[in-house]
This record gives sequence, structure tokens and C-alpha cells, in this order.
Amino acid sequence: MKRFADINIGDTLGPSEQFVSKDNCRAFARAGGIEAPRFTDDEGARKEGLPGMILPGNMSLGLLSKLVTDWIGAEGGARLIRMSTTYRVPVQPDHKLTLHGFVTHSTPAERTAEIDVWIENEDAERLVTGTATVQFDS
Amino acid sequence: MAVEYDPALINKVFEVTDPVSVTREKIDKFCAAIGESNPLYTDDEAAKDGPYGGIVAPPSFAVMFRNGRHFFENVPRFGRRGFDAGKDVEFVAPIRPGDAITLSSHVKEIYEKTGRTGTMVFVVIRSTLKNQNNEVVAHIDHRFMNRP
Amino acid sequence: MSTTLDLHSHSDASEDSRAPVEAYLNWIRLRRSERPLDGIVLTEHRQYNRDADYRALEDKFGVMVLRASEVETNYGHVLVYGVNDDILSRFDFANIRLDAQTLIDEVERMGGVAVPCHPGRPNIGLYEHYAAKPPLENLIAVEVLNGGSRKGEDERSAELVARFGYHAVGGSDSHLVSLIGLCATRFAAEIRSIDDLVRELKTGIYEPVDFRPRRKAVAHAVAEETR
Repeated sequence: MKRFADINIGDTLGPSEQFVSKDNCRAFARAGGIEAPRFTDDEGARKEGLPGMILPGNMSLGLLSKLVTDWIGAEGGARLIRMSTTYRVPVQPDHKLTLHGFVTHSTPAERTAEIDVWIENEDAERLVTGTATVQFDS
Repeated sequence: MAVEYDPALINKVFEVTDPVSVTREKIDKFCAAIGESNPLYTDDEAAKDGPYGGIVAPPSFAVMFRNGRHFFENVPRFGRRGFDAGKDVEFVAPIRPGDAITLSSHVKEIYEKTGRTGTMVFVVIRSTLKNQNNEVVAHIDHRFMNRP
Repeated sequence: MSTTLDLHSHSDASEDSRAPVEAYLNWIRLRRSERPLDGIVLTEHRQYNRDADYRALEDKFGVMVLRASEVETNYGHVLVYGVNDDILSRFDFANIRLDAQTLIDEVERMGGVAVPCHPGRPNIGLYEHYAAKPPLENLIAVEVLNGGSRKGEDERSAELVARFGYHAVGGSDSHLVSLIGLCATRFAAEIRSIDDLVRELKTGIYEPVDFRPRRKAVAHAVAEETR
């Protein structure tokens, strides 16, 4: 179980390599009822001026949240209480993505830790950046 | 110099959606789509003994509730089409199967800046999600980007 | 004695960052072996807080904090160093349509220096604007290494430096704590204040430095005296 006292500034989450297929992307769009062409169809996405299908922003947020909840683990002891994301560059499916996280600072009075998170492509470009806050029970 | 808009827009709740039921099936589909296998969200037996006493949705499931059909008529539109530029989500309480979630939304902020894709107007919509017991489960600040 | 400064960073005073200044300084202290910085310059978007005071944090972490601003012009984004009351009354930093040439000339006249940042970036960088409009005059330096660059952007910036003979600086453009200091600028002289920085940018010897992992160095003009 994760405890606040065991957390150090500089602790890493991941890096976690992921391959999001076009079918994964479509499945997410269906699950969210957002089956716009930009999330489901290369041709339709190109008509909107995009390079091809892209991941919904919410899917990137979901993947980054999962990076944090995986780090917390299934035993509890802490929970994700805030996730803030910026979509800098469209994320395309069928590419290797790498998710990174670093514990950057903490607030002992609230037993919270702040974590930088981001999604990188093969060229080490940060496509989505964010910060997460985790609160610990003890 | 700032972008021009009617100041009365700010903070006015423009929409409260009808309740949306959370089913186990919806949570399963969400988990499958992001590759989630944490037993807290996927395994009834394991989750029963976990911190929530049963299956809950992963925190980020909160962003899957959409603003209703009145969204686009009420949100100031400065361009032909908008993009999701980012979100700031505060997860207040877990969302469980059987919950019925409503969203109430207001415009929090409007501002403009220039970026890689040109001049952009940002409209920040703040939505508060409540369950059937009137408990807040999440606050979501949604930065919605328009190109004028 | 040389000084290495990250000339471009955003804290939680900018609308798109949640990074506290204290966390930046602590991160620099912890990562000094990888990113040997003497200080950072906060360049908050479209604003300048004349009352901010970071002296207690500077003492606590042994890292210098200077303040500047990143403003938006018809030639892209520009870092303004040496912001003073004259400059603040002459320009509305919140205006995203400032005239770049006027800004450069007036800031210089009022004792500061204006440095276009991420010139190789689409729309908000000089490179694209130079394809359609005449080059700016009286430019001393541009940011040739930017920690937030996509592939090819720093290379386009380096091309401008080679073509126009600008001096080159580097900055992380960090919006996240852990990205502070990824790129920086090494000055030959000692810098202890914003006045020192403005003077060195105008007349000193300096070069961009890249602390990013897994990246190839970008060619840039060799540092030399500007005047």
C-alpha cells in the first residue's frame, strides 16, 4: 500500500509504452458517444485538416489517469483527486506512445503529492502534458 | 485588449442535464477501451474487499458525461469549429454502477491567445457532476478552443 | 565566472501552468548534476507582476529567479527582458496583436531587450512570418533552443540564426516542474540581476546549451562579441 512517507520528489511513474490502435480509438469514441469522423475515420479526419484519425482528448486523459492509478496500485491507500491536461499536439493512433510521470512536489499538511505526466511520441515530442494530484490516507 | 463578449455569460448556469445512468456495462466498455485491468474497476470479488466496498468507475470515467443538447446553443461560439484544448478535473467521490449523474454547467472564463494553429479563443466551461443523492462527484473545467 | 540561466519558463501565474516557483527551484537543486543552472527567468504569458518577490526562495534553494514576460506580436511570441514602468505603460502586455518592430525598438529605447522565442514554430514563430513579411530590424538575439519544440522547429530557428547572424539563446519554455532547465543559455560573464542579464544579452558572450536527453545537438552560431 502506498504511504505518503514513502514518496520522494523525483520518483518516476512509468515510463509506460503503449500502442493505441485505430480500433482502440474507435472503441473509446463509441464508449463516450463521440463518434465524430476525426476519432473514427482517417479520410473524415483529413477533411477536417488533421493528419488522420486522432485520439479523443478524453482518451489521453484516461491513459494518463491510468498511469497514476496503476502507480497507486489496487491496494488503495491513496487516490487520484485531480488531473489537469493540455492537448498540445494531436495524438495519432497506430503509433508507439510513451507515458511519463514524475513526482515533483508534495504538501505534507494535506498528504498530497503533485505529479507531472505526459504522453510522448517516437520523436520524443510531448503531445499531451498534465499534472495529477494524489492524496494519501496515511 | 481582450476578446469581446457579453459579461452576463460568465457564471450563469446554462444547462442542467437529465440524469444519465451509470451501468456496469458502460464502465466495462470504458475500461476495455483504455486497457484498464485494475481489479478495483474490473473484478467484483476483489473490489468487494477493496477501499470502496465494490466496483467503482476509474476516476477518469467522469469525463465521459457529455453536456446536453443545449451546449452549443448556449456556449459562445467564435469560430466554425471547436477543439478540446484540455481539462482540469477534480475527482471528489467515486462513481458507481447504479448511479445517476447530472451535469450543471456554466461559462467560467473567456480569453484569447495565439498558438501553433493561429489565433484562438478559449471558452472555459465548468461542469459540476452530481449523483442521485445530490453529492458532488466531480468538477470539470473544460477548455474549449475556437478559431475565430 | 560564467552563468547558466533558463531564459524561458512559466509558473502557475500563467494560465496554462500549475508549476509553483518553489517546486521549480527544488527540482533544479535536486537535478543540478544533469542541468547545472544558476537561475531561471520567469516569462509569464502576457503579463508582468512587478510586485513578485522571490528572495526568500532564492536564499532557500540557492537558485536565482529573474522576471521577464512572453508577449504576442504580429511576428509571433517575444520574450521581453528588463521590463520596467516605462515599458509597462507603453505596451498592454495582454494585447495579443502587438507590433513586433515597435516592441523591439521601444523596449530597446526604454532599457530592455526583446528576444523572439521559438522562431521555428508554426504561426507564433519568426520563420513563417519571414516567408511573408520583411525581416525585423534591430534584433540582437533569438531563442534557438526551446524545450517544447517539435521535431524540426529548433532546426528552422538555427537556419534563421545562420541567415541573419542573430545571437542565439536557449530556454526550456517549461510549463511543468520536471521540464525546467531542459534548455538554457550560458553567459561568459557573471549575472546577478535583470540589469546584468539585459546588458549581457546586448553586448556579452553567450551560447545556448541543451540538457535534453536523447536529442542531437542543434548547430548554432558560435558565440562572439555582438558589438
